[in-house]
Amino acid sequence: MSEQIKREDFVFLDADRTLFDETFSGKPIGFFKDALLRLKKNKASIVAFVIIVLIAFFAVAGPVFTPYGYNDQDVNRVNMPPKIPVLETFGIADGTRIIYNSRKENLNNPEKFPEGSVLEIVREYEIKNTPMVDVKVDYYIYSGHPDDYFIMGTDYLGRDLWTRLWRGARVSLLIAVISVMMNICIGVVYGAIAGYYGGRVDIIMMRITEIIGAFPQVIVATLLILFMGTGIRAIIFALIIRGWIGTAKLVRGQFLRFKGREYVLAARVMGVKDKKLIFRHILPNSIGPVITRAMVEVPGAIFAESFLAFIGLGLQAPEPSIGVLLSDAQKVLNSYPYQTFFPAVLISVLMISFNLFGNGLRDAFNPTMRGSD
Amino acid sequence: MKQYFLKRVLAACVALFLILTLAFMVVRLMPGSVYDDPNLPPAAVAMLEQKAHLDKPLLTQYGYFLKGIITENDWGTSVKVEPGIPAFEILKRQIPISLFVNLMSLLIALPIGILAGTAAAIKKNTMIDHAISFLVILGISIPSFVFASLLQYFCGFKWEWFPILYEPSADMAGQLHSLMLPIIALSLSPIATITRYLRGELIEVLDSEYMTLACTKGLPHYKATTRHAFRNASLPLIHVVIPMFANVLGGSMVIERMFSIPGVGGTMIKSINQTDYSLTVATLIFYALISVLTAFVVDILLGIVDPRVRFGGENA
Repeated sequence: MSEQIKREDFVFLDADRTLFDETFSGKPIGFFKDALLRLKKNKASIVAFVIIVLIAFFAVAGPVFTPYGYNDQDVNRVNMPPKIPVLETFGIADGTRIIYNSRKENLNNPEKFPEGSVLEIVREYEIKNTPMVDVKVDYYIYSGHPDDYFIMGTDYLGRDLWTRLWRGARVSLLIAVISVMMNICIGVVYGAIAGYYGGRVDIIMMRITEIIGAFPQVIVATLLILFMGTGIRAIIFALIIRGWIGTAKLVRGQFLRFKGREYVLAARVMGVKDKKLIFRHILPNSIGPVITRAMVEVPGAIFAESFLAFIGLGLQAPEPSIGVLLSDAQKVLNSYPYQTFFPAVLISVLMISFNLFGNGLRDAFNPTMRGSD
Repeated sequence: MKQYFLKRVLAACVALFLILTLAFMVVRLMPGSVYDDPNLPPAAVAMLEQKAHLDKPLLTQYGYFLKGIITENDWGTSVKVEPGIPAFEILKRQIPISLFVNLMSLLIALPIGILAGTAAAIKKNTMIDHAISFLVILGISIPSFVFASLLQYFCGFKWEWFPILYEPSADMAGQLHSLMLPIIALSLSPIATITRYLRGELIEVLDSEYMTLACTKGLPHYKATTRHAFRNASLPLIHVVIPMFANVLGGSMVIERMFSIPGVGGTMIKSINQTDYSLTVATLIFYALISVLTAFVVDILLGIVDPRVRFGGENA
């Protein structure tokens, strides 16, 4: 027996009273704005963020600045030293190299040493009565490319390392970002379901993560790549297969914390469905830690990719990635250190920046600093 | 406690078994025969395959594989890297040096990390703390193989303080000397991790009420720090240090190759590159064993130390 209450029975009590604080005097500060305010105070994080943006920009646009493709091979310009337009006048990266053990008589032979290539004779000595010299040459004139600029030099196939480095950075970043995003998506949904429903669902789901978590990352990745063959897709898969567990645990923890709160109960009493409760009401509370986690996981993924490249499970040639470049350069480290230098600096700077930015985000989102809930 | 222990043992066994199965399946399901030498007549290949039970159904093969491991300690035989030599023999020869390099780097890392972490925590928010924190960020961020390249080029090649590569024929001191660079390269990241962790723990503990009490009682500050704070802060180090062993072992694969150390990591890379899969599986299982074991040890130790873990408390 339901009672019908008519609309007319209700009367507004305070309909004629004036409200005094109709508008807020200050501006409302939302969650993200609040975090942004705190992030802005952290100088290191801002610098790190700028560096990340710069690297990302070059990863997209870097190859455009040179006329060379990432796979343009040329036997006439193998292992050229770096030469950078402005710096060369200061004697850094000026495209010179010392050539050891040449016969002295060759110095005057323009076929061996073209005009103007010899800069300085470093050492003169004799081997079996033949006068020999170590000579510092302008390698660009020496090898017949006087007008070219290879900012980071070339590799053992004569490919421009500037182009390859940025293309490699692009591939590495792509692998890292895609795998981390997929990890986050899977982890959030999985953790949300486990944490929200709790009980038996939670126990079973957490057992599954425990079993997967017991597989060592390196071994899972190796097996998977052996199975799928090398390539971007296999590497991303290898990084996902175990990577989402951390996020899942994090989100589950947040759900356990928040699902008993009054506001959730209120929403449930008003008839809000489970799905909406999970994604609309509880999940936003864990968005801070999740974003932080994503930032911290990116360098891990970059590292994992170069690690795989080092153990021979990297991308297929000729596609470069930072790891592939490093592992190629490692073989000629003592003769051509510049080939290791640039990718090593890039990966280090990238990883430091992501870590610093992640730290800044963590501090900015840290709920303990947001008053008492 | 007993129940907790049994549970952990069971979990470790299940994980190992799954890895074993997975490794076996992946390798067997790979296209092509193990014996792909074009000079071999098909009849010989068939005979070889029969001998290796490759002509049987997959499940039977798997049975043979497990049986071989359990009863005869047969982990498969290397086909290409060192033809004809059982994988177990190869690993047995190489495990000591791998373990040595890894344990040494951890042993170096522990005291340095503890010292640096304590210094940073006590001198919180001073120049010392900032300098250490900066170094920690570097140590955590920069991959070990970049450090290794740096060390190899400068300390090995330019300044000739250390040999560039491992010297197997030298005497003990010479060998140790040539292993210094890889050990240092491997220890940097553990140092940074331990420092960061210990700093965080110590700062928290130094703020706690029992520290105030200890000081109120009249304990000198250094004594309160070493006796009360340090103990409580270093206990959770178990959490980081032991799992680190498995991590370092993974990282040492690359380092072993760079310094041509004849360890397990180098063999694994070689076996992958030369498609010698039974050897790959054997090395993988070795690594799996190590990581599962370390995880197991951590669980047990934490169970002993912290009763909450044992009784399945909420570790959210």
